[in-house]
Amino acid sequence: MLPLRQKRILAIFSVALLFISCRSDERNSRELTLAYPADIRGFDPATATDFRSGRTMSFVYDNLVRFDVGTELVPCLAKAWDVSENGREYTFHLRREARFFDGNPITAQDVVYSLTRILLPETASPQTWLFDRITGAKDVIAGKTDTVSGLVAENDSTLVIRLGAPFAPFIQYLAMPSGAIVNYRQIENINVRPAGSGPWKLETWERDGEIIFVRNDSYWGGKTKMPRLRIRILSEPMTRSAEFEAGNLDLLDVPNVEVRAWKNHPRWGKYFYTEDDLSLYYVGMNCSRPPFNDIRVRKAMNLAVDREKIIEVLRFGAGIPASGPVPPSLLKTPPPDPYPYDPEEALRLLDEAGFPRGFETKLWVAGDAEMYHVLEAIQSYWQAVGIQVELLRSDWNVFRTAVKAGKPDLYYLSWFADYPDGENFLYPLFHSRESMVKRNRFSNAGIDSLIERIQALPASRERDSLIARTNRRVFEEAPWVFLWYPESNVVIQPWLKGFESKLIFNAQRYDDWYKEF
Amino acid sequence: MIKYIFNRILQTIPVLLGVIVITFILMYIVPGDPVQSMVGERYDEATVERLRAELHLDDPMAVQFFRYVWNILHGDFGTSFYSGESVSAQIMDKFPNTMILALTAMVVAIFVGLSIGIISALKPRSWLDKGTMFFALVGISAPVFWVGLMLVLFVGVYLRWLPPTGYGGIEYVILPAITLGLRSAAYLARLTRASMLEILDQQYIRTARMKGLPEWKVILKHAFPNTLVPVITVIGTDFGSYLSGAVLTESIFGWPGLGRLALDAILKRDFPVIQGAVLFMAIMFILANLVVDILYGVVDPRIRTERKTGQPR
Repeated sequence: MLPLRQKRILAIFSVALLFISCRSDERNSRELTLAYPADIRGFDPATATDFRSGRTMSFVYDNLVRFDVGTELVPCLAKAWDVSENGREYTFHLRREARFFDGNPITAQDVVYSLTRILLPETASPQTWLFDRITGAKDVIAGKTDTVSGLVAENDSTLVIRLGAPFAPFIQYLAMPSGAIVNYRQIENINVRPAGSGPWKLETWERDGEIIFVRNDSYWGGKTKMPRLRIRILSEPMTRSAEFEAGNLDLLDVPNVEVRAWKNHPRWGKYFYTEDDLSLYYVGMNCSRPPFNDIRVRKAMNLAVDREKIIEVLRFGAGIPASGPVPPSLLKTPPPDPYPYDPEEALRLLDEAGFPRGFETKLWVAGDAEMYHVLEAIQSYWQAVGIQVELLRSDWNVFRTAVKAGKPDLYYLSWFADYPDGENFLYPLFHSRESMVKRNRFSNAGIDSLIERIQALPASRERDSLIARTNRRVFEEAPWVFLWYPESNVVIQPWLKGFESKLIFNAQRYDDWYKEF
Repeated sequence: MIKYIFNRILQTIPVLLGVIVITFILMYIVPGDPVQSMVGERYDEATVERLRAELHLDDPMAVQFFRYVWNILHGDFGTSFYSGESVSAQIMDKFPNTMILALTAMVVAIFVGLSIGIISALKPRSWLDKGTMFFALVGISAPVFWVGLMLVLFVGVYLRWLPPTGYGGIEYVILPAITLGLRSAAYLARLTRASMLEILDQQYIRTARMKGLPEWKVILKHAFPNTLVPVITVIGTDFGSYLSGAVLTESIFGWPGLGRLALDAILKRDFPVIQGAVLFMAIMFILANLVVDILYGVVDPRIRTERKTGQPR
């Protein structure tokens, strides 16, 4: 038996703990809580080059158009738009009811201001490539003038954008994070105070701590179902899993190593979902010099690797073997079959190419331990056909600088979609204008002209089949060792309703999600 | 005493200069272009050049260095490459969080460490002594990340007594403070026990007991204060390192402090923030040591007098 005083202390202690736990439960029902592994850069659309900042932009800003569940563009600030016959002139009809957070209406002039701002030299935005095809944009970038001649507000609700040449992906660029429409009246603190009009308003942002949003009650569109959205910055994967299990997170991005544990769990298994990442992992081969200027060697590199086994064992099933650069969800026709695991054929091709005893080379990589394990497996597959590959692990900046300079023979990298269009997996990666100066020095006139045709064509059957054809051509040229299209996995709380995956990273606004206990 | 403090402050100047020079040179010779991590995938060359010019990255090393020192002397630690925010504002934003965690951890360490140390010294070689010293051994040997994760798992997830991680009210600081303070507590316990045992053997303790003083008075008034010199050393240096941020503890518990600021900056190659954070940590560490030195004089008058008469210690 405890003496009375100790009993009393114990009682007070338990009541206090009870109080604490009650408090967190009460808060949970009012807000949606998610976790990011690292903080965002800020709320300035001009600097939103990373995935997390970009997706957060869409909570607090509207664009002219945006993406929703799939690959289709949906109206946003523009309720409708027309494209001229020649594909060079876009006319946007803005909705009149849209308001910025400060209550001012959003007009065509605001759009002109926002897009021009990205191009102005003083903004120093790395995203000028988005709008540099607008007539007169290059002069603004060069600092010769501060008005873009091809960007015209005809009246408050009509905006005309003229391009130098027809360029079909342009309208998708407008849906990217840097295409957000900003309020010039609040531009000064834009990095910490979003100057937008989105369905969520920023309440507080404690760097490396949490970002809290509240419902924008005067939003012109559908209001968010939850009154608050709380994003916690939790860098430790174990911590995120623990918080989810304790009921403090409504959704958990499952790390690959934990996939099986959650998926096969009697309680959580039915709340487990797999999402398309719209991305791929690859090993780039420098096509401008031996040995990888020989297509037979490049094919041998592809044939020597057993992708399925690596995905199964080292990635815990998270991914699909890659069959070309364009992810299958962006193709309207069935993709080609991936390169099979065929070491004999690889040996034969190497022999034919004049490397009967293989060769030695180096592979550059920047990244985490998980990547490294995967690469060690690939390394041993190559070794089995006589190709000795040394892994060079370096820091991200060193890596990027080296790849840009064309230094590595081999490098391991991934590509994530900016917008859900096959073109996004072709032009920036395989058009000689990009590849020769930034990537693996691949140049093929036939593929270049195919890509240019895709860029000029509006969405159509013809364009779809061109994308499929170009994808196959690139696949057959094997400028990369195509590895896999990764998948990400999430597990949600039983009380989370309205959960829906979105294909492109910045389409998810969490506006339809709610909780029901 | 004042002259002593003044001298100690003067001694910190070359140390700080050394820190400035070393961090600057380290950042300068690191390979790779910091602009690369700012521009995303589809930049054009002109943007990279413009950003490099804006950040003065193409200036000669000497020019960059003197600009850096000049700015520091004006209280300007620069602006973050990544977020464009002032570095000093970011540090000052994080420092209160770090301070809260450090203070709480210290309270845990002192309270647990001293009481265990004293209790086990009073009953040497008893089961109590063996038990507490085993605890101390575990406390010293257990890695911080393991202790943290176990606390998250058991106290936060299974028992649900406290929120596993996060920050806010007092309930959030308890687990990280235990994690951070445990090692100091264990170390303090062993140290207190050892010096207590030594002191309890001294003649003046026997005198005090013979005078008929109650035992608690003997322990707390006569023995305990004399154990403080080594204890303060440990507390001071540990506190200094807590103030410069506890990277592991802060990462596990999602605590937005200086340690994570620095770690994040390192991962993003955000040079101005790394430089600012390192310099700030150095200042904190030096300050903590200075306070320790001054406290020596307070708890042990001998140190003060020796200094005054200029005799070596």
